[in-house]
Amino acid sequence: MDFALNSDQITLSSALDKLVSRYLSPPTDFRGFCLTSDTLEQELEQGGFFEAAQIPELGPVAAAAMVERLARLPYTVEAALSMLLSAQLEGDWPRPFAVIEHGRPGRFVAQAGTLIILDGNQVGITRASPDLVESMDSLYGYPMGRLKSSAVYTPLSAADAANVHKWLRVALAAEAAGLLQAALDTVIEHLSVRKQFGRPLGSFQAVQHRMAESTVLARGVRLLALKAAWSEDAGDAALAALHAQESATRVVYDLHQFMGAMGMTLEFPLHLWSYRLKALLSELDGRAGQAKAVAALCFN
Amino acid sequence: MEFSWNQQQTEFRATVRDFLAQNLPDNWESIAHGPGSASQSEFSKQFCARLADAGLLVPHWPRQWGGREADAWSSFILAEEMWAAGEPRGGQYMNVNWIGPTLMRFGTEAQQQRYIPPMAQGETIWCQGFSEPEAGSDLASLRTKAEKQGDHYCINGQKIWTSYAGEAETCFLLARTGSGKKGISIFLLPMDTPGIIVVEIPSLIGEGDIHEVFFENVMVPATAMLGEEGQAWDIVRTALSLERVGIPRFALASRMLQRAVDFLKQRDRFHSGAAEQAARAKAACEATRLFSYEIIDQRQKGITAGAEASVARVATVNCERLVAEFVVEHLPETLASGDPLLLAHHQRGIVAGIASGAAEIQLNLIATQLLQLPREPR
Ligand SMILES: Cc1cc2nc3c(=O)[nH]c(=O)nc-3n(C[C@H](O)[C@H](O)[C@H](O)COP(=O)(O)OP(=O)(O)OC[C@H]3O[C@@H](n4cnc5c(N)ncnc54)[C@H](O)[C@@H]3O)c2cc1C
Repeated sequence: MDFALNSDQITLSSALDKLVSRYLSPPTDFRGFCLTSDTLEQELEQGGFFEAAQIPELGPVAAAAMVERLARLPYTVEAALSMLLSAQLEGDWPRPFAVIEHGRPGRFVAQAGTLIILDGNQVGITRASPDLVESMDSLYGYPMGRLKSSAVYTPLSAADAANVHKWLRVALAAEAAGLLQAALDTVIEHLSVRKQFGRPLGSFQAVQHRMAESTVLARGVRLLALKAAWSEDAGDAALAALHAQESATRVVYDLHQFMGAMGMTLEFPLHLWSYRLKALLSELDGRAGQAKAVAALCFN
Repeated sequence: MEFSWNQQQTEFRATVRDFLAQNLPDNWESIAHGPGSASQSEFSKQFCARLADAGLLVPHWPRQWGGREADAWSSFILAEEMWAAGEPRGGQYMNVNWIGPTLMRFGTEAQQQRYIPPMAQGETIWCQGFSEPEAGSDLASLRTKAEKQGDHYCINGQKIWTSYAGEAETCFLLARTGSGKKGISIFLLPMDTPGIIVVEIPSLIGEGDIHEVFFENVMVPATAMLGEEGQAWDIVRTALSLERVGIPRFALASRMLQRAVDFLKQRDRFHSGAAEQAARAKAACEATRLFSYEIIDQRQKGITAGAEASVARVATVNCERLVAEFVVEHLPETLASGDPLLLAHHQRGIVAGIASGAAEIQLNLIATQLLQLPREPR
C-alpha cells in the first residue's frame, strides 16, 4: 500500500500542472454553456500527454490522475478516453473518442476521430467522419453531438466489449472526481465571501454539514477511481463509476442550492462542472447500470 | 501508487486469520453477542492471553513493554481482522490501542509497572470514564469533581455510557480539579475502590455494553493521577490521535454485506432492487476502506492526519448505515432472532455515528479545518 505517486508519476503530474496553469480560470467575459480551448488541446497533444501514461512506470493510475486534473479546469477536453481507453484498443484509432449510447447525443461526438457505439449488449467501434455526425446546442458543459444516421460499426468480441465497459467506467469516475472537486472548490470560495444575516454563508452549520458530506463523497470517488485504474479490475471500475454517479446526484443539487440565484447564471462558472456532472449521470445506463455490474462482479 | 499488500503484510494477515480460526470457539457467535457481558469479558481474558503468547496482542508496542515495534500497517491489519471477527478482544482493544501507549508516554514509573504488564498479558479490562449525563459531545463541560484532601483526591459525580464498566478493573477517569478545559485531570482509578456503583443500562446494542457509574466520596491517592493536575485535555487529545481512524468498521460491514447477499441468493430474494442497494453499500464500504488506508499510509510515513481522519469517520458512518439499512430492508428477520452475526453487526453498526464522537462533530471539523469555512459565531 502506498498512496503517494511514484517519482515518474510526480514528474508527469508537475508537467501537466505547469501546462494547465494558463487555463485555470475562464475568460472574464465568458457567458457560454460550454468552454473548450484549441490551444489547450494542441499543447496536450504536442506535449505527448495523451499517450504519456502508456509507459509501464506511469500506467493507468497516472492517466486517471491526469484525467482528474484536467477535469478540474473550466476548459473541457476529451482526455479520459484518450488516456484510459485508447491503449486498450487493438489497431490505431484516432482521438478524440466519443461514445454513442442507445443512439443518444454524446460528449465530443461531433469532434470525434473514433466512435464507440454502445448498443444493447453490443459494443462497436468505428471511425467518425464529419458527414456522419453533427454538433448540437445543449446546457451540458461539454460539446455535444449526435449521429446523423445510424452508424456502421465493427462489433467487438464479448471479452473486448467487457474490457471497453470497464475502462469507460474508470474514465467516467476519474472525470467525475475532478469535476466534483472543482465544483466544490468554487462554491467553497463563494461561501466564504458571500454574507447574509451579517455573516458568511459558509458559517451556517446547515451549509457546512452538507458541504462536508459532499467533500467526503468527492474524495471517495477520487480514491475509488485511482484504485480501479491501478487494479484494472472490472468490479473496482463498477464500484468507482457507481459511487461517482451516486455522489454527483447529491453534490450537484447541494452546490447549486448554496449558490442561490447566482448559480443559475452563466457568469458564475459552477455550471461548467455541475452540468458536465449531469451529463455523466445518465451514461453507461446510469446508476442502475453500474449497480447491476457491481452486484454481478463484487459479490461472490 | 500501490494498492496491494506486500509479502510481509499478506503473511501477517494470514497469521492473524489462522490464529482466529484456531482460537474462536464454535459458540463464539453467542458469546460475541454481549460485547461487555460477563461471558464476553471472561472469554476476552483467555483469548487475549493466547494472543499475547502468540505475539499478536501488542505487536506495535515497544520491546520494553512486550511488543516488537511492528509498523502502523501491522497494527491496522490486526485491528481489521479482529473487528471483522466480532472483536474477540472485547474492551481490551482500548488497552492496546491507546490506554497502554498513553501510560507509556505520560505515566509515572510506578503507574507503568503496575498497569502496563497486565495489559501486555491480556489479562485486564479498562473502561473509559469520559461522558456524563450533561457532558456528551461537549465533553469539556464535565462536572464530576475531584477535590484534593491531603495526599488524596475525593471524587464525586457520575459518568454514563461507560462501556465495559461492569467488568473493568480500572477506569481511565476524567474529573474536574479546576475550571475550564485546563481544570480537568485524569485518574487511574481501581473500580473496586469503595464508593463506586455501576449500573448497567438496558439497550438496543447488546448485553453488558453501556453503564452508569456513580462516584460517592471515592478516595483515590494523588499518585493515581496521570500527568499533572489540569493536563487531561492535552493528554486525551494526544491519546485519541492514536485512534484517529477509529475502529475499522468497514471490515465487518463489508463481510456482513456479503453474508446478507449470500442469504438472499440462497432464498432467491436477491432481486434487482436489493442488488442496487447492496451495490451502493459496497461502494461506500470500499471508499471507506481506502480513506482508512490512506491515513495509515500517512501514519506509516510519520505524518499525523488532520481533518482527513474526520473524512474517514464520516465515510465509516455512511457505510455502516447503508449496510444496516440494506439488511433491515431485505432480511428483516435479522432483528427477530435471525442470524446472530448479522444481528450483532446491526447492534454494533448503529452506534457508529455516536460512540467516540457524533458524526456531526466530524462534519464540523471537516467544514472548518479541511474546507476552511468560517466558524459559526459563538
Ligand atoms: C455504544 C456506545 C459506547 C460508548 N462508550 C463510552 C465509553 O466507554 N466511555 C465514555 O465516556 N463514553 C462512551 N460513549 C458516549 C459517547 O462518547 C457519547 O455518546 C458521544 O460523545 C455523544 O454524546 P451524547 O450521547 O451525550 O450526545 P449529545 O452530545 O447529546 O448529542 C446528540 C446529538 O446531537 C447532535 N450534536 C451534538 N453536538 C452537536 C454540534 N456541536 N453540532 C451539531 N450537532 C450536534 C449530534 O447529532 C449528536 O449525535 C459511548 C456511546 C455509545 C453509543
